[in-house]
Amino acid sequence: MSLQPTTLEELQSIVKDNQGLLPIGGGTKPALSTAFNGATRLDMSRLSGIIEYEPGEYTFTAYAGTPVRTIVAALAEHGQYLPFDPPLIEQGATLGGVIAANTAGSGRYRYGGVRDFIIGVRFVDGQGQLVRGGGKVVKNAAGFDLPKFMVGSAGRFGAFVDVSFKVFPEPRAYVTLKAVFASLGPALEAIYSLFTAPNEMDVLDLESLDDGRFGLLMRLGGLSTALPGRVERLQAFLNTKTEVLSNEVIQAEADAALWQQVNGFSWVPDGSHFAKVPISPKRIPLLENVLLSLNPSRRYTAGGNVAWLAVSDIEQLDMLLNKLNLPGLVLFGPPGRPFIGPRPGVSLARRVKQALDPSGKFLEI
Amino acid sequence: MDHQPFFAALQRIYPKERLLTKGVQLLAYESDALTSFQTKPSAVVIPESQDEVIETVRLCHQFGVPYVARGSGTSLSGGSLPIENGIVIALNRLNRIKKLDPEQRIAVVEPGVVNLQISQAADRYNLYYAPDPSSQSVCTIGGNVAFNSGGAHCLKYGMTSNHILGLKVVLADGEVVEFGSESLEGVGVGPDLIGLFVGSEGLFGVALEITVRLLPKPELYRTVLAAYNDLETAGNAVAMVVASGLLPGAMEIMDRLSIKAAESAVDAGYPENAAALLIVELEGESEQVETEFEEIMDVIKESGSYEIRVAKDAEQRLRIWKGRKGAFSSVGRLSPDYVVQDGVVPRSHLGKALAEIDRLSQEYGLDVANVFHAGDGNLHPLILFNGREEGALEHAEELAGKILKMCVELGGSITGEHGVGMEKRNYMPAMFSEVDLETMKTIRRQVDPKEISNPGKMFPGGEAPALKMTGMHPLEAKGIISRE
Amino acid sequence: MQHRIDIKKYGPRGEAMAEAIQSCVHCGFCLAACPTYKVLGEEMDSPRGRIYLMKEVLEENLTVEEAQPYLDRCLGCIGCMPACPSGVRYDELIVSYRAFSEPKRKRSLMDNMARRMIAETLPYPNRFRAAVASGKVGKLFKGAMPEKLGAMMGLVPADLPEDKPLPPIYPAKGRRRARVALLSGCVQTVLNPDINWATVRVLSENGVETVIPQEQGCCGSIMMHIGEEERAKKLARQNLQVFVPDEVDAIITNAAGCGSGMKEYGLLFKGLSEEAEAEKFAEKVQDISVFLDSLGLKPPAELREPLTVVYQDACHLLHAQGIRSAPRNLLSSIPGLTLLELGDDGLCCGSAGTYNIEQPEIAHQLGQRKVQHVLNTGAQAVVSGNIGCLTQIQSHLANRGVSLPLYHTIELLDWAYRRKAQT
Repeated sequence: MSLQPTTLEELQSIVKDNQGLLPIGGGTKPALSTAFNGATRLDMSRLSGIIEYEPGEYTFTAYAGTPVRTIVAALAEHGQYLPFDPPLIEQGATLGGVIAANTAGSGRYRYGGVRDFIIGVRFVDGQGQLVRGGGKVVKNAAGFDLPKFMVGSAGRFGAFVDVSFKVFPEPRAYVTLKAVFASLGPALEAIYSLFTAPNEMDVLDLESLDDGRFGLLMRLGGLSTALPGRVERLQAFLNTKTEVLSNEVIQAEADAALWQQVNGFSWVPDGSHFAKVPISPKRIPLLENVLLSLNPSRRYTAGGNVAWLAVSDIEQLDMLLNKLNLPGLVLFGPPGRPFIGPRPGVSLARRVKQALDPSGKFLEI
Repeated sequence: MDHQPFFAALQRIYPKERLLTKGVQLLAYESDALTSFQTKPSAVVIPESQDEVIETVRLCHQFGVPYVARGSGTSLSGGSLPIENGIVIALNRLNRIKKLDPEQRIAVVEPGVVNLQISQAADRYNLYYAPDPSSQSVCTIGGNVAFNSGGAHCLKYGMTSNHILGLKVVLADGEVVEFGSESLEGVGVGPDLIGLFVGSEGLFGVALEITVRLLPKPELYRTVLAAYNDLETAGNAVAMVVASGLLPGAMEIMDRLSIKAAESAVDAGYPENAAALLIVELEGESEQVETEFEEIMDVIKESGSYEIRVAKDAEQRLRIWKGRKGAFSSVGRLSPDYVVQDGVVPRSHLGKALAEIDRLSQEYGLDVANVFHAGDGNLHPLILFNGREEGALEHAEELAGKILKMCVELGGSITGEHGVGMEKRNYMPAMFSEVDLETMKTIRRQVDPKEISNPGKMFPGGEAPALKMTGMHPLEAKGIISRE
Repeated sequence: MQHRIDIKKYGPRGEAMAEAIQSCVHCGFCLAACPTYKVLGEEMDSPRGRIYLMKEVLEENLTVEEAQPYLDRCLGCIGCMPACPSGVRYDELIVSYRAFSEPKRKRSLMDNMARRMIAETLPYPNRFRAAVASGKVGKLFKGAMPEKLGAMMGLVPADLPEDKPLPPIYPAKGRRRARVALLSGCVQTVLNPDINWATVRVLSENGVETVIPQEQGCCGSIMMHIGEEERAKKLARQNLQVFVPDEVDAIITNAAGCGSGMKEYGLLFKGLSEEAEAEKFAEKVQDISVFLDSLGLKPPAELREPLTVVYQDACHLLHAQGIRSAPRNLLSSIPGLTLLELGDDGLCCGSAGTYNIEQPEIAHQLGQRKVQHVLNTGAQAVVSGNIGCLTQIQSHLANRGVSLPLYHTIELLDWAYRRKAQT
């Protein structure tokens, strides 16, 4: 069954009258957005559109069903952007979906992810009540920070109506430097040295190449006059402080196209299961070790702090993650089990669930 | 209710020098940095281990005794005010930096660690902990977590919550929960429990261990002081800088009164006689900052400033910030009493808000010193009054209330970084509906069914009264403890 | 902070106390700068906490006795004052409060005995010298002596240097640039008479004539510090009589505590007939480092061998008198000398007048802390502008089995000039 509210009031009465609801946006992350076991699709795509956008304020409020590309386009007109590179934009990801899944692309590295930019949320809870958390200003310490709590909540606590974000001025120009290392070890060592270096990067991605080699992709954004000097300096740093084999500068359209591919997950092989795993860089060798047998397509974003793994079978990955004590979130895969690996803090999440959705209108967390 | 077992149990955990019950000891804890509220607790305990904190919270839950966890007591909203018939858990001796990993840019610390000590420990790796509340030389990270503290440099990299990756907490009913990780992604999977816990003002429990992220120290700072003949022009200058698309690390404004107070405390080198002073600081990689500096100077030159100064070295920069960071306290030189407010307005309404504050100041016949984080619209009007005059505090609070309501009407917030605490709880309904507040309270009760963890804060009119201790405690009768 | 103190009750100093309390906003910025708070981590043992307790006593909500343990633990190092944005005059408050509370408190017989012994010994060089001599005997009977006296004896070296009295006038070399009077002090002259001699020699080298009034005595600062106000006044009066401020450019001291104490003579005699005279005296008081730095030093000679030293800020120079750059400038002007910083934010070493004697445990922790910082720097010697700090650091270094030379700033300068004379 699928229900599609077009107004707040409709949404509220749907919640009051139904059980087993799964709010869905653009449906770009099927493991999270496919209704299963008799659950009811709550299609939020009709609650869409920008409500308020004052470029001078660097904030906007929009319905949760608004496609992110609509937002991105509106912001771009004023030289503004969401720095965390929300993924799957071209495929139709909505704001609500990005929040519920907590997906951020490579740009997450410098200024943070979804949680670091969301400032307000209004949602309908399990009792059909409209609840607001946060506000519309960039700084706000009043009341519990429900907007942040909702990041990653996977539609288990309520259905978002509208959300507010802060945004940043977009760098006027970008350049990407791609450096190649003989193996994982020197690539990680390079990350560690870059972590304490003064060079500022908007993106620091680690990718596995063939022959056991690893690549580091560093994207620099800023004023165009300063960029060439910064790139040279970064190259000099890599040459003197790391065991880099070679490096390549990627500019202009090539740079834009590269990051569109990365953040659109077009590198993920068709039909594979695909998961996000928060990790700390020092645990990557451990993970790489156990992944050997699966040999997945993979990528590490945010300076080796988030692993994106494309495997053939999510069950196997679940087992491995449990062994490594790493939680994971499935984006592409069978419906019904988005959370794999351990679930730290889930007992606290369940208490909040009891408060927001005591009769279980939305799916279990 | 008989509380002998409770005190007896506390005595089993704490030796007497860490279980304070004498009147003179308790008096010293009766206020934080907001002295208009005073409540003497029944006891102060000083745990030295996480286990002692956990045991204490479990006892409080078992016996229904309210508590407040306290760091350095620098809250400006009365957030660490003791609860009547409750105890204070003073976390100052849980002050170990348990881990500092420069390669992953993280530190794992206990709640009693002082904010600035993290940066000092990280300094030799060229790293620092970014959030910088003005009290950073004394305030503890536990308190920062409870109140999601901000600071002048939160414009670019966010407040406390944006820098917390992992937490180990004891919830109010004694359950110990860990969430988040050493990953920059923090919780990353499932609802963001760190987001929920940070800024919950101690209503869920006590943080025992906190994983923070560190940042590389900016290679270069460029700190510009611009003087203006009136506040509105300075406010507009902020809008111009914001519109230019540059992202400064900090953007602050001080008015005539606060400049005067700060200058008398620190020789900060602020231009004299300015009606308004704008501090803009760029930070980051040197090439980028130098280029941004040229652009921002063009903007400021166009903004109607009559005098522009640039800090010429690190020492001058430090003095500028020392003056700014001590501004609240130095207002103590101008007036024995003041109320600090913390409202936020949308940045484009800064000029309007300042004009309205000025009008209200005249209407009420009270001086208002303004010092604020202009870059994010976070105002800090300090309303000066003389508490000796009959009704003066009430008069000042009425003015403060009007300012807060104006902030909400302009689409802002009643607090940007100080938290609601005791002080602003009655203004919560101006910002949130009954349903919003009821929902927050329901969450709170799910985590703390007996409402013993820092009760009375955040929500208007307090909460269900906690169980009271009545009559003389048996240990008191025997002269073993004294509460006075 | 609001208070309800009945100011009239507290005599001429009531106003100073009330004003200090009123200007405190309880923000807590002082906590980080307070040595006892660093050690104990308790609100009662912080400047803000103490101000609060003093307020409560003066408002008569608390008895002097109840608050006393916490106020006794205050070192009086005044480290809190530079940290205070509100400009609370903690120095005036604590000295005035101690003067008010001392007569009201009950002390044990032993305590009183020890205190009286201190009060009647330390300020008098001859008696102090005799006490130390008997201390050698005392060490044998340690158990039989009051514990505090034992602590005091523990700090004092077994062998005292010979007494070397100063002449009434020490002339300037070459053209006379200034004329000063020197406070020769009490404890320091016994423990290290060379410091005074170095002082007059360096002054002379720089064309300064020094008058040393022979009838002078202890300045009374230690007595002010521990609340023995009447004894302090008695000592100060003696000096008011024998020093003639009008006839000299400055009244020089080479002990930090004496300098800050004498600068407070005005407060000591507030409301009394000597007030104006005391103010005049106080205005002329200068630490030797400040005097020489502003006079302009004649260039000293290069040291025979390069020397790396760490400079320890005495609280009563740095915090109480705001003297930071002058001693550093002087030391840096000596060729061959490398100056290191301690990097401990000028936290008190625990010496603090008689604190060593009154609060041996906290003093011990602070001393250990300071010595750790000293050792971390890897310096070859320690320099300070105060004999108390030097003694405390020396004894804590000895505890660790480390022996480093310790110098007063003026001694190093003296060295350099004497070297010049040789070459």
